[in-house]
Amino acid sequence: MRRYVTAGIVLILAAAAALLCGNSAIGAGDVLRTLAGNGTRAQQVIVFQVRLPRVAAALLSGAALSVSGYLLQNNLNNAVASPGLLGINNGAGLFVLISALVFPYQAGMKCVIAFAGALAVTLLVSLLSSGTGLSKTSVILSGVAVSAVCVAAADVIISVRPETVADKTAFQLGGFGDVSLTTVSIAAPVIVTMLALAFVLAGGMDLMALGDEVAQGLGVRVRMYRLIYLLCASLLAGAAVSMSGMIGFVGLMVPNLVRMVHHGKSRGGIALCMMVGSAFLLLCDTLARVIVFPYELPCGLLLSALGAPFLIWMLVRKRKRLGVND
Amino acid sequence: MIEIRNMTTSYGRGELFRVAGLTLKTGEITAVIGRNGSGKSTLLKTLAGFLKYQGSITIRGRECRDYSARERAREIAWLPQMLKTVQMDVETLAEHGRYPHHGSTRRMGDADREKVKEALRMTGMEKMAKRSLQELSGGERQRAYLAMVIAQDTPMILLDEPTTYMDLVYQKTFFEILQHLKQSGRGIVLSVHHLEQCFAFCDSICLMDQRTLVRKATPEEWAKDTDTLRAVFGIEMKKTEDRELMYPYMIRR
Repeated sequence: MRRYVTAGIVLILAAAAALLCGNSAIGAGDVLRTLAGNGTRAQQVIVFQVRLPRVAAALLSGAALSVSGYLLQNNLNNAVASPGLLGINNGAGLFVLISALVFPYQAGMKCVIAFAGALAVTLLVSLLSSGTGLSKTSVILSGVAVSAVCVAAADVIISVRPETVADKTAFQLGGFGDVSLTTVSIAAPVIVTMLALAFVLAGGMDLMALGDEVAQGLGVRVRMYRLIYLLCASLLAGAAVSMSGMIGFVGLMVPNLVRMVHHGKSRGGIALCMMVGSAFLLLCDTLARVIVFPYELPCGLLLSALGAPFLIWMLVRKRKRLGVND
Repeated sequence: MIEIRNMTTSYGRGELFRVAGLTLKTGEITAVIGRNGSGKSTLLKTLAGFLKYQGSITIRGRECRDYSARERAREIAWLPQMLKTVQMDVETLAEHGRYPHHGSTRRMGDADREKVKEALRMTGMEKMAKRSLQELSGGERQRAYLAMVIAQDTPMILLDEPTTYMDLVYQKTFFEILQHLKQSGRGIVLSVHHLEQCFAFCDSICLMDQRTLVRKATPEEWAKDTDTLRAVFGIEMKKTEDRELMYPYMIRR
């Protein structure tokens, strides 16, 4: 219980810090006054149209990517499984490039298309691996193959139509600089629904950790559950990517950090991933805004700087200590 | 009660596995014996509903394939040979046995907790309830999984080579637990390699050979049918009156 309270407090502090920090010089009192409805017109614009959507996007993306990684890692029994490894992020990225080609002036379409790309990749990966009974290895290998195809296709689009590059670069770096109320309002319902679904169906995941045969013996429809978890993970990642671009490493780092301290049931793990992931991304985004003030680093750049050493450390570390069972 | 009639199932490289007729009753311990690859695990997996089959398998008069996964898990519990050493305490593992009764969405009730407690007590795992499976020996882990299967509270229990990682003392304790389950009205079907043990503790024995059920008979009947056992294993079983020996049947070359 103590770790949930700690994570909750850190999350509240991170959200408060994210809300109070920014390029515009308005103090904590001004922000609170504006939230209470007493701010000036300029303060209202800054708080309600810039900072709140940004905090909401970081909070939702952190929760979505972390839970997505947690679902993938648990179901594929692989500590390095993440939306990135399975090609879900690259699929979303490719579809965003396609959207830049087909709907160049419709920003709202980016969300839907990124979301569709993540879903398409997951379905393709599931289809490719279903021939071998959705085994853990076949899903990962299919993900790597589909990811490579997505990257190649994206490169073809950039070569043929270089005007899409600017959009792709911004998207691939990842960050919350361009977040608007529209993008958040499209992604939020998907993320909240999928988080609730993951939370409700977490019991099946605990049983699947015992192995497919034991889980089947207990009445779990293993293939159906695995497919639902994969779809859930892909929708979470797709919705997050549609808001924040291809922010990497959150889906890899947070679930592994959570598993180091949480050895209990998956439902608790999902709750911790939501809180830790949100707090982590909020802190990273706040740091990205203040570290080179008055300029701003893309949050994804900061995450890559943290994530790459983490991945190396994780690969060196024994898998058993990461809490993922063979 | 499980009844099999003219059942065939395919596995591996399209090899067919056949059982002409077999009845497995509750309140009885049935051993499945046979050489490696004879079809012991295939029989158990088919009964557990993992393999598609032709012909008929009925559980309490209803066709096995007509049961949903959770309905079947309320009738038949299954424990495979290979068990994972996950980061989970024994009590949580045993609680998972209640899944077929309450599913993912409902919480454990008092009746569920009582079943779990009873299963832990029966397997002697009460004192280890809070210990992680990773801290247990192979035999203890097997008993923890057995507690899960007992908590599942099904009329029939299928166990695939359950004594593999147990030492002699654990094996004896294990069969005592099975006797207790039998007395409480459960039917147990287990595949084993230890012939002296299964002749001592089981009510009937199914002999598998070349992916076919040869015959189901009692230990006494098998002891008289020396030709069949000799044809399959190259040995025969001899009943002994020597009470100093651990088991009442001995292997004779």
